[in-house]
Amino acid sequence: MPDMPDENYKIKTNDVTVDYGDKRALHGINLNIQSNQVTSLIGPSGCGKSTFIRCLNRMNDLIMGCHVNGSILIDNTDINLPETDIVELRARIGMVFQKPNPFPKSIYDNVAYGPRIHGLTKNKDDLDHVVTKSLKRAGLWKEVSDRLDASGLSLSGGQQQRLCIARAIAVNPDVLLMDEPCSALDPIATAVIEELINELKERYTIVIVTHSMQQAARLSQKTAYFHLGEMIEFDDTSTIFTNPKHEMTESYITGKIG
Amino acid sequence: MTDIKPNIRLKKRYRAEVRFKIYCASALAIGMIILLTLISSITISAIPAFTQINISIDVQLEDDDIQTFKENPTDVSWRTIQKKSIYKMFPEITSRSDKRELNKIVSTGAYLEIEKFYNRNRDLIKQTNKIYVPAADDIDLIIKNLTDRDLPENMRTISDKQLSYLDTMIEEDRIKKSFSWRLFSNGDSREPELAGLKGGIVGTLLTMFVTLIISFPVGVLAAVYLEEIAPKNRLTDIIEVNINNLAAVPSIVYGLLGLAIFLNYMNMPRSAPLVGGIVLALMTLPVIIIATRASLASIPPSIREAAYGVGASQMQVITHHVVPLALPGILTGTIIGIARAAGETAPLLMIGMMAFIVDIPTGITDKATVLPAQVYMWANNPERSFEYLTSAAILVLLVILIVINLLAIILRKKYERRW
Ligand SMILES: Nc1ncnc2c1ncn2[C@@H]1O[C@H](COP(=O)(O)OP(=O)(O)OP(=O)(O)O)[C@@H](O)[C@H]1O
Ligand SMILES: [Mg+2]
Repeated sequence: MPDMPDENYKIKTNDVTVDYGDKRALHGINLNIQSNQVTSLIGPSGCGKSTFIRCLNRMNDLIMGCHVNGSILIDNTDINLPETDIVELRARIGMVFQKPNPFPKSIYDNVAYGPRIHGLTKNKDDLDHVVTKSLKRAGLWKEVSDRLDASGLSLSGGQQQRLCIARAIAVNPDVLLMDEPCSALDPIATAVIEELINELKERYTIVIVTHSMQQAARLSQKTAYFHLGEMIEFDDTSTIFTNPKHEMTESYITGKIG
Repeated sequence: MTDIKPNIRLKKRYRAEVRFKIYCASALAIGMIILLTLISSITISAIPAFTQINISIDVQLEDDDIQTFKENPTDVSWRTIQKKSIYKMFPEITSRSDKRELNKIVSTGAYLEIEKFYNRNRDLIKQTNKIYVPAADDIDLIIKNLTDRDLPENMRTISDKQLSYLDTMIEEDRIKKSFSWRLFSNGDSREPELAGLKGGIVGTLLTMFVTLIISFPVGVLAAVYLEEIAPKNRLTDIIEVNINNLAAVPSIVYGLLGLAIFLNYMNMPRSAPLVGGIVLALMTLPVIIIATRASLASIPPSIREAAYGVGASQMQVITHHVVPLALPGILTGTIIGIARAAGETAPLLMIGMMAFIVDIPTGITDKATVLPAQVYMWANNPERSFEYLTSAAILVLLVILIVINLLAIILRKKYERRW
């Protein structure tokens, strides 16, 4: 693939380091992520995948004693500048967590919450429309259309995770960060979500953390391999899985590390 | 052999579990027995206080009394009218000392009933009216069989003569027993047959109102700041330790503080629910802060992450998600704190709310007392009827506390049931 001009990268990180107190979790990560693609992050447990993905919407701000250094550019703006509006940033960079975490509110309110607080809709009809659209895109509409007033917690694990995806896309973000979205799900629910991710990448830039090599191979165009806080290798997914340049990558994907 | 061993172990374990269950059940039983004994003994001794003995007297206003009543109702000497009416019922009694004894059969406040009657029924001033007035407290006890009338005369507060007058009244069917509404409609009094709890009840409600509107918002906001907003550092640790200590400070210390600051320094009114409420609010604050913090800390971080993740601001995360979810715990803590404050006397002693106050307070700056203070004062009164009244007051206080706790449970259920 020929080198793309800089402007086509949605996210550019340069020498990102993260410290939890005096423990360094990420050592200088340089990773550029393209629009409308799925980028997977793989690597053994504790290597810093979650830490990295949480830098991209400044979720690490919530953790006491966590310091992020280096530059993270999204649409060529540094998101760590003091004048960044975190609320606006997090609305633009949606996130789906490893464990489904719907609000203990109705299904409708779960999806409507984001649009409401950001004032994205003018009236009730508008909001209804956004909720319906988001649930449809998350592939949940058919299952819940007749019980939007039921609690989000009354859904099954896989349904809850799709509800969380619907909630994230209801605010119409550009980027969707997914931290092991399928780790709590069975193969059928996983397949539904994978299909969904494939559709969503037409509109969004998706970064996904996964422990499943097959999932990374099936879903993503690019894959990054992390090890002990370093990014060892980043390339087209096909290259990583068929012809890795680094032997650590190779031993991980063949199951020798991990 | 190998089969027997696990069998013995299993039996042993079963026995141990049964024993454990028995220990737990007996602990509960002991608690219940103590509680039941307490409540039933209070209830039994409170029963006489809920009825009152009334004596009917025939009242006929004289012409000049009618004249005064028409021109200037406050100038009528109702006491004299009361005496005259009673003497008329026993024309054979002439000596002054006998007359005095006769008059002592009815309450010293009997004239108040006559005054009330004529103020309500102005069209009946010309005719003879049968008016029920409360009996004196010792007569009340005789009729309720709580004093033995066969005791020798020098061991009773009632003379043989008074007893014979009383018997005549009983024969004439002038005695009536009725529910003692004045227990709830009168203020305090030195006379047991006139004393009521309204002053204490209203005083308690006003004081609790002040306590609640100060301690709830301040306590919850302080807890939210400590738990959700403040950085965790040495300073917040020190504050936390001190708040926990404050919860253990003897309540009288808050009274001393109230005396020094609110009365002596800020010149706030003495004996007022305003000051009492503030003092009790100070006492309740640490309880509310601790309960609120515990309740906030129990909200899973994943809810906060979810809200931040869709771009909620910190205030939105707190007000839309964390506090509503923590509300059942917050309410429980608040109501435990308020209920404790409602039963408190020591701090109120220092700011003058433990006082004999007859008037019913109408606002938070009026002089007032509270129910537990009234219980304490009544228990110290020498008249035997106050024994029963004290139990009745305790019962009323218990009922108020039970209502508060019930409210807590209902609120809790309401918010818990949402999902
Ligand atoms: N809140 C925290 N405080 C201190 N250290 C942390 C914290 N979160 C993560 N770490 C440390 O940072 C390193 C990277 O953790 P991270 O959660 O990013 O790993 P991960 O790659 O997501 O692992 P997994 O696949 O198990 O989720 C780990 O060594 C971990 O111990
Ligand atoms: Mg992780």
